[in-house]
Amino acid sequence: MIIQFSLKKCFPLYCVLKAPAAGFKTAKEGGLILQSASQDVYQNLALEDWIHDNMDLENRHVLFLWRNSSTVVIGRHQNPWQECNLRVMRQKGVKLARRRSGGGAVYHDPGNINLTFFTSRKKFERIENLKLVVKALKTLRPQLDVQATERYDLLLNKTFKISGTAAKLGRTTAYHHCTLLCSADKFVLTSVLKSPYNGIKSNATPSVPALVKNLFEEDPTLTCEMLMDAIAGEYASHHHTANHIHVINPADETEFPGINNKARELKAWNWLYGKTPKFNISTSFNIEHDQSRAEIQISMDVKNGNIETCQIDVPRNWLPLDMHDELRNSLIGNRFCPNETTAVATALLRTCADSKLHSKWHILCEKIVTLM
Amino acid sequence: LRNEARFLESRALAFRRWQHPTRRFTDKHEWISVENGVGTIGISNFAQEALGDVVYCSLPEIGTKLNKQDEFGALESVKAASEVYSPVTGEVTEINTALADNPGLVNKSCYQDGWLIKMTVDNPSELEDLLSEDAYEKYIKSIEE
Repeated sequence: MIIQFSLKKCFPLYCVLKAPAAGFKTAKEGGLILQSASQDVYQNLALEDWIHDNMDLENRHVLFLWRNSSTVVIGRHQNPWQECNLRVMRQKGVKLARRRSGGGAVYHDPGNINLTFFTSRKKFERIENLKLVVKALKTLRPQLDVQATERYDLLLNKTFKISGTAAKLGRTTAYHHCTLLCSADKFVLTSVLKSPYNGIKSNATPSVPALVKNLFEEDPTLTCEMLMDAIAGEYASHHHTANHIHVINPADETEFPGINNKARELKAWNWLYGKTPKFNISTSFNIEHDQSRAEIQISMDVKNGNIETCQIDVPRNWLPLDMHDELRNSLIGNRFCPNETTAVATALLRTCADSKLHSKWHILCEKIVTLM
Repeated sequence: LRNEARFLESRALAFRRWQHPTRRFTDKHEWISVENGVGTIGISNFAQEALGDVVYCSLPEIGTKLNKQDEFGALESVKAASEVYSPVTGEVTEINTALADNPGLVNKSCYQDGWLIKMTVDNPSELEDLLSEDAYEKYIKSIEE
């Protein structure tokens, strides 16, 4: 049985399905297909963690289908300032998430499908999962030219990436998750996956940029629902299991004890930004003020998301030495984050009575905030 | 004289062997070798081959207290993050800082320059639960079949 997924209908459906869905965790063998009723990226990533940590995957496989509202998802060891345009994301309300698997940054919205394949660590085999996805696509539309690459991407017409992969291997269990672009907003995708920040030096894992395409552009009759059903069907036949999609609510604490804590952790600043591998940002900018122009050089070491060292070089006599020293000292130990820096700057600016200096200092602080 | 030289050579070899701390292994492919109460931890050759090129090593802070089997970091290779687990209970005393600029050391020299962390060994008896080099080799053969 395939249960059609529709956002408007998912809640009543979820209620109908609740009884059969409740029993899925007790079965110890075979395949299981789950689909999230939520588009909250933190809840969906938390469900991945929950399954990884709590389910016995020794003799069973789980496929989890999920979609998110507009979000940039970065790899476990990435630097968000290097990977995306945080300013544009804040303006457009695009969320940032950091997953626990490796790999590069991707853009999610409801036009993108995510598939997570859970297995024991021993049975972890990415290429098999991708073959299954290709087979499902071919069953749906035999004319599609889709192939898996050595980097575990899926390419359409040998050129355009339609799917990216990442994985996490734990002690006994592992998961492989991948994206599948059906009808995502490519305009937003391109604008948020481009970093405007210069001068970042870091050992963080860099993303490998690729030309992307939606399956919808190749065949306008394709929808996310069709693709998910086709993949679920292929998964069921591959694992000789019932073709039944259990719609689950990843915020349901009684079904998944402890899951909301996991979601909170994934949403916290300390995970999203604080987990960034140590980096240095060194850059310069010009400030025009009162018909004069000054070149400012700034260098900061950021560890665990906190400013560890900070150096601000301004031309002599542009700003009294004690003022920029004060700014520097107040920044050290704070988060490399616009809100916190603005708060620090506002507090400092209150202590300055000279209007001309105040104005210069204010511009300098604003420039520093734009680096974050 | 020749016999004597041979005898001395064999003694020297035995001494070096005695000095070289033996490595013990977990079934998750971490190794530990203990010298003066401090354990050095890394991953086995089998594990580094299975991982492929390591591009990032995430390691704990010095002073982190670990229980046996606690996750202490992750190694990233070909888009996969593989978690690494502590073989014993103790406190992290040193991390291999060379891995920040050169994570590939884990592949090139997993038993020497590519070590991950050093830690105290609080319960030396835990070492006895780990696999000897020979037992680990046998274990690898059994899972490869």
